[in-house]
Amino acid sequence: MSDANRMSATAFARGTWVVTLRELASVFDSGVAYVYTVAFALLANSIFMNEFFLAGNVDMTAWFELLPLLLAFFLPAISMRLWAEERKSRTIEMLFTLPLRPMQAILGKYLAALGMFELFLCTSLPIPIMLAVLGAPDWGLIASGYVGLYLLGALFLAIGCLLSALARDQIVAFVTTTLVAFLLVLSGNDAVVAVLDGLAPSLALGSFLYEWVSVLPHYDSFVGGVIELSSLVYFLSLSALALYGCALALGKNRS
Amino acid sequence: MIEVQRVTKRYGATLAVDGVSCRIRRGEIVGFLGPNGAGKSTLLRMISTWLPPTAGTIRVAGFDVVRESLAVRRNIGYLTEHNALYETMRVERFLRFSGEARGLRGARLAERLEWVAGACSLEEVWNKHIQHCSKGFRQRIGLASALLHDPRVILLDEPTHGLDPLQVAAFLDFVRQLAPERAILFSSHVLSEVVAVSSRLLVIHHGRLLIDQAVDALRESAPAGDLEAHLLDVVRSASTRETPA
Repeated sequence: MSDANRMSATAFARGTWVVTLRELASVFDSGVAYVYTVAFALLANSIFMNEFFLAGNVDMTAWFELLPLLLAFFLPAISMRLWAEERKSRTIEMLFTLPLRPMQAILGKYLAALGMFELFLCTSLPIPIMLAVLGAPDWGLIASGYVGLYLLGALFLAIGCLLSALARDQIVAFVTTTLVAFLLVLSGNDAVVAVLDGLAPSLALGSFLYEWVSVLPHYDSFVGGVIELSSLVYFLSLSALALYGCALALGKNRS
Repeated sequence: MIEVQRVTKRYGATLAVDGVSCRIRRGEIVGFLGPNGAGKSTLLRMISTWLPPTAGTIRVAGFDVVRESLAVRRNIGYLTEHNALYETMRVERFLRFSGEARGLRGARLAERLEWVAGACSLEEVWNKHIQHCSKGFRQRIGLASALLHDPRVILLDEPTHGLDPLQVAAFLDFVRQLAPERAILFSSHVLSEVVAVSSRLLVIHHGRLLIDQAVDALRESAPAGDLEAHLLDVVRSASTRETPA
């Protein structure tokens, strides 16, 4: 690489951050962020209260077990616009002719989506606060659950980023990301595994999907309070792979 | 400033640009003419690094558009064909983003923002959302974004599209003022606009460069001084040659 084409790590981080701030400003300017956040807060907190009053336990395990389904629906709504909208409004040409590396634009948008997700998670903070007032919850279990939830969301957003780069419009990006996210979650559900195994016992499709495709075995270890290195590597490597795939998809679109 | 050598671009079986070579020096405004679909935007997109050439080389300010694309992008200001802007952003916020993405910060960014606001007459819409600006202002916002980092090379793809005659005249005046220190490639399919501002013309048709000549020399060689008729003749005869008997 010639010297003129080099970029320092500081310049890379700064350029990435500029894209992140623009994305966040765009989501908040359009009002979409407020609608999503309020809707997520209402649903997530309702789910907890329902479980809390039914079980009467001072912990969040049941809530953490249900949240992946909610994320499988909400996070594609954030990621669908990342690239599909740039392409539809034709601003992608302007963005990619700025002196930024493609990965800066991808990471910048991804970080903005993560920022939105972090805002979603913040709306659930009244739950642990309430539990602290009512009793003595296991903080290690709650923290571990949040780490798992964050990694799961980060993976869904990375997959959404990739599918948004491949899709022609936002609706297609939303539907495909939702389907993939539900596949990743439901393939870890015991009832689904049993049904799939029952359909073709010799293939044991359900067990295969549970073992090789589903996010739940990895996510459940976090919910159970165990942070396993293999699960960390699983989430981080798949997220990185999806973002790399996004870079390839965007590069292919330009040739 | 811009050196295009035997550049070809294919989209599958379609040949969009066919072995084009040309050179644009500092201080020149070069008009780039051709009918719709002739290959003008494709060539500009290759110069801007948005599209890679299938064959041939392009150097901008001494840098190769494929191997040194980042350095090329630091040196160009590009007004894209559709001048797509982030609609929901305010003008000031969009231009600040554009400047920061180009590495401008602090006092230098403030100085350049002030300059483009004045040079492109954007004070009136400075705090407006882009989606609420008129077509004329939107073109000026796109141009302001392209000029913010004081680039050495300016690429303008159909910059007067959608402007009224007064706005076109003002725009062309402004482009003329930019010329001395820069190389400007101005694409259009409106001959009068291109001739009004350019010292040299490139005419492209079906991806091939048919003419690369100074405007004055072209006028002299045109029968009865009718430049438009002369250029149309050149394009028609090129079409006739390409059509199988």
